[in-house]
Amino acid sequence: MSAIHLQNLVKKFGDFTALKTMDLEISDGEFMALLGPSGCGKSTTMNMIAGMEEPTGGKILFGERDMAGVPMGRRGVGFVFQNYAIFTHMTVRQNLAYGPKMRGAAKAEIDRRVGAIAEMLQLTPLLDRKADRLSVNILQRVAIGRSAIMEPAIFLLDEPLSNVDAAFRAVMRTELKQLQRQFRQTMVYVTHDQLEAMTMADRIAVMDHGVLQQVGTPLEVYNDPANVFVARFIGAPGMNLLKGRPAESDRGLVVDLGPLGITPPLPDALAAALRGARGEVLYGFRPEQATLVQNGQGLAMQVTFVERIGARTIVHLGLGEGAVKTVFDNDVGLAIGDTAIVAPAASSVRVFDAATGLAMKAG
Amino acid sequence: MSAVTAMISEDEMKAVGARPVPRDEGARLGFRLTLPAQILVLFISAFPLLMQLYISVTDWSPLSGLGWWNAWSLWNNLANYTDLAADPRFWSALKRTAIVMIICVPVEFLLGLALATLFADDFPGKRIFYSVLLMPMMVVPAVAGYMFFMLFQSGGPVNDILSALTGSPVTIAWLSDPTLALIAVMVADIWQWTPLMFLILLAGLVGVPEDQIKAATLLGANPWQRFVTIVLPKMKTIIIIALAIRVIENFKIFDTLYIMTGGGPGVATETISVYIYKLTTQDLIWGYVAAIALAILIVLSIVAVFAMKRMARAREVPA
Repeated sequence: MSAIHLQNLVKKFGDFTALKTMDLEISDGEFMALLGPSGCGKSTTMNMIAGMEEPTGGKILFGERDMAGVPMGRRGVGFVFQNYAIFTHMTVRQNLAYGPKMRGAAKAEIDRRVGAIAEMLQLTPLLDRKADRLSVNILQRVAIGRSAIMEPAIFLLDEPLSNVDAAFRAVMRTELKQLQRQFRQTMVYVTHDQLEAMTMADRIAVMDHGVLQQVGTPLEVYNDPANVFVARFIGAPGMNLLKGRPAESDRGLVVDLGPLGITPPLPDALAAALRGARGEVLYGFRPEQATLVQNGQGLAMQVTFVERIGARTIVHLGLGEGAVKTVFDNDVGLAIGDTAIVAPAASSVRVFDAATGLAMKAG
Repeated sequence: MSAVTAMISEDEMKAVGARPVPRDEGARLGFRLTLPAQILVLFISAFPLLMQLYISVTDWSPLSGLGWWNAWSLWNNLANYTDLAADPRFWSALKRTAIVMIICVPVEFLLGLALATLFADDFPGKRIFYSVLLMPMMVVPAVAGYMFFMLFQSGGPVNDILSALTGSPVTIAWLSDPTLALIAVMVADIWQWTPLMFLILLAGLVGVPEDQIKAATLLGANPWQRFVTIVLPKMKTIIIIALAIRVIENFKIFDTLYIMTGGGPGVATETISVYIYKLTTQDLIWGYVAAIALAILIVLSIVAVFAMKRMARAREVPA
């Protein structure tokens, strides 16, 4: 087991900067998800931790140990590839035994370790199967077992669920999380799927364009996005953001949204943070945390689209910059063309500086 | 286009189109559409084969004054085949061909594999070396033969280089010594055909999944272990193809060799093809030639079938 420290990590490919600068502390035994859209630098970061790529600048420490110049075979890192990279010309047993065998372990020792790991991953009945005709969840277990048998301090997983269909993904997520509890290793998990990050990770590092945007627990990232990118990226649909200016009203500080009218009064803490601000702000609230209210108590907007997703209904309101989405129960009774008056739950409102994109907070 | 359409009758148009096509009707149309190609195949492959088979059981020769179709009057009851079994020159030519193959093909394979491994990674000037390396393959074999004929003269460049290296004048008569002539001929074959081996093996090497190699590296395998445990097994199919192509081609070794030595000195470099050529153009006993050629065709077919079976088996296992 080992903590990972990334210090001022930079990666450039020629003129292209994949990772601008990255500082991240991953503590011992933690499940850290690197989350972001494709091209955000998450895989590059992971490849550098594994030693597949050399950083252009900065340091990677495992515990106290600087990893610069340590080849990937000697870092004590387990790596699960996107497509698992199982050796298809071998049996499950040969796959599991590969690492110890390459390091010249004795046959009895290899057999013992393969037996133990197969037992743990419920692969014992499949040991002598050829690895080219296994289902994905078994491939995943073989891939994990093949790395785990080396008892790595750190496990790196590169989008291991992206080739799996949606229904199966839920099964695999649970399985993966259970495996992590079993092994108790430090795990770094790269994904572009926020659901995976949310459900499995202890903490999430949200990345975009080679820059770390926010690090926090899944709920922190969801509830208190550090900036506009995180607010939009996390959540399905993402946070609604409406442009406006702070304004005083007889009921307290509100945000004047221009043609949309004024918002309900801001909670005291936010109002305190905003009072000094003069520039434009973005008024944000979660689609799940809006309710229909009486006229005059919320934002009156026209329904432009009703999207049924099964358990709930997503109602699209307004057009252009003033468009928002809200999630209601299926019996909401709104149709295209209706006018809905919505008000976000006061506790869920967040405000961002329109110029910098950063969240505005009291203090 | 319109002419072609017009030739297909209305019935057939319907068969191709909306109506569900009964099995035999579709098969009939398929047969008609492929008929021209089948006739072509018949003439370029089946017809000569049958003709060869026919002549091989007769004493027919172009000097016999008969058309080949009248060769039945020279029927000899498989005498050609019994002669073949007892022909020492045939057996020694066959042995020589086998020796050349057993030496040339593995050397070409190992050189090709080494070069392919080298070229799988990037290095400065790779593209230029790549083009240079492929050039021997593009040289007309007859020209290559003449080139090596000149190189191996007793006053030729090969001896000059050896002289420079040893410091004393070397005048080896390469092409007049039975053993050295065979070596010279093999050197020429290796020079000309290693590039093909290289090209095929490089294609195979590039197709080895990179993440499996990375996975092996992460599990602590060194480069040699990776090569033996991952790369070679993944290249099995392509190695079989490459070896089969070269075994079959090398068995028919002729043009370069014939220009270098003419099969000589004596019969020291006389391979099967050279022997057949001499029987055809000098002895003119075509019935016997047909019998030899047929025997060899059968041997090579067995090699080809074996290789294809191995390939089919390997292909069942996706990479």
